[in-house]
Amino acid sequence: MRLQLAALVSCAFVATSGAVLAHHSFAMFDQENPVELEGVVQEFKFTSPHSYILLEVKGEEGNTAVWNLEGPAPSLLARDGWSSQTLKPKDEVIITIDPLRSGAPGGSWQSRKIKFRNGQPIAVAP
Amino acid sequence: MRYRSLIVSVAAALCTVAASAQAFDESKYPDWTGQWKLGPPTKWDPSKPPGRGQQAPLTPEYQAIFEDNLADQAAGGQGTDPTYICIPDGMPRAMNVVFPMEIVILPNTTYIMIEYLSMLRRIYTDGRDWPKGLEPSFMGYSIGKWIDEGATGQYNLLEVETRNMKGPRSFDPSGIPLHKDNQTVVLERIYLDKADSNILRDDITTIDHALTRPWTVTKNYRRVRNPIWIESICSEANPHVRIGKENYMMSADGYLMPAKKDQPPPDLRYFNQPKK
Repeated sequence: MRLQLAALVSCAFVATSGAVLAHHSFAMFDQENPVELEGVVQEFKFTSPHSYILLEVKGEEGNTAVWNLEGPAPSLLARDGWSSQTLKPKDEVIITIDPLRSGAPGGSWQSRKIKFRNGQPIAVAP
Repeated sequence: MRYRSLIVSVAAALCTVAASAQAFDESKYPDWTGQWKLGPPTKWDPSKPPGRGQQAPLTPEYQAIFEDNLADQAAGGQGTDPTYICIPDGMPRAMNVVFPMEIVILPNTTYIMIEYLSMLRRIYTDGRDWPKGLEPSFMGYSIGKWIDEGATGQYNLLEVETRNMKGPRSFDPSGIPLHKDNQTVVLERIYLDKADSNILRDDITTIDHALTRPWTVTKNYRRVRNPIWIESICSEANPHVRIGKENYMMSADGYLMPAKKDQPPPDLRYFNQPKK
């Protein structure tokens, strides 16, 4: 499946950034070629061993793909002020992810690389 | 009559508890209460870069295994890191403490409870010998000894030896391997920093047939008072799947996705095949 990307961001990215929060190797995610997605939250899973955002993303041809985006564990998110209610279905977000190397609609994300579509930051602990 | 015997039983139980409480003199043990955090990045030797930068003293055979693992990871695989399918870290990797740990000191056993994957270590300090015929486990069997270094009147060092592990295990997510014979011996010296009692040090020496010499690293954990604890159950929502020798990822709608570029689908030989 071809990636349906809202935008392609700079490749000048620290390659180890995804791995630092991971319990396992994150090599399946291309940390050297992150992409920015703009989409609508279908579901936010505040689960172990990782949280997940299921994000509906519209492609350039109008088709929609649902991306499975692997994020930090609740153990990390909760200490950053997140909860299971931080993201809700129909929230519109912009998020920079490290995509699966295979090109399938999956990737990984970090809490400091997501914001609401209107530019509002997502609340974190003071 | 029935009540009298109940009262006698309860009284006997209370006496036993009181006797145990008297036997455990808390003032003899260090204050290791609270939550201990290490924090990212997750790598075995905190003083060195990850991956090859760790300069693990591997034998040529296991260096080759490590290099193959790095090549597989670069292609999107998991190499020799088994934890992506919820196999626990085991020892010594558990002491990377991906999420924080709590230490509970009792007279005969010290417990290390690690939030990540709900891993539990029991360190027996009652002077026992190594048991015979025990089945191996990922966390191994740990025997410890309290020491009063400097004759201060209080224990300040816990020496631990851990044996009888099972595999597969690696040191960290980069896949630095331990030997398949699982004859690993882990020696630890756990103590508070002399200048800062909110730093707990663990000097960890790993002896393993994958290594050319004992490998010693020091972990420095920082204390958090009044912490929060989060449940961490790996099987709750793990989308990573191993089929044969390949790893795949579940999609948002519950189907298999390839993790590597041009990865073949799983072998479906035991399913009815469509007729051509």
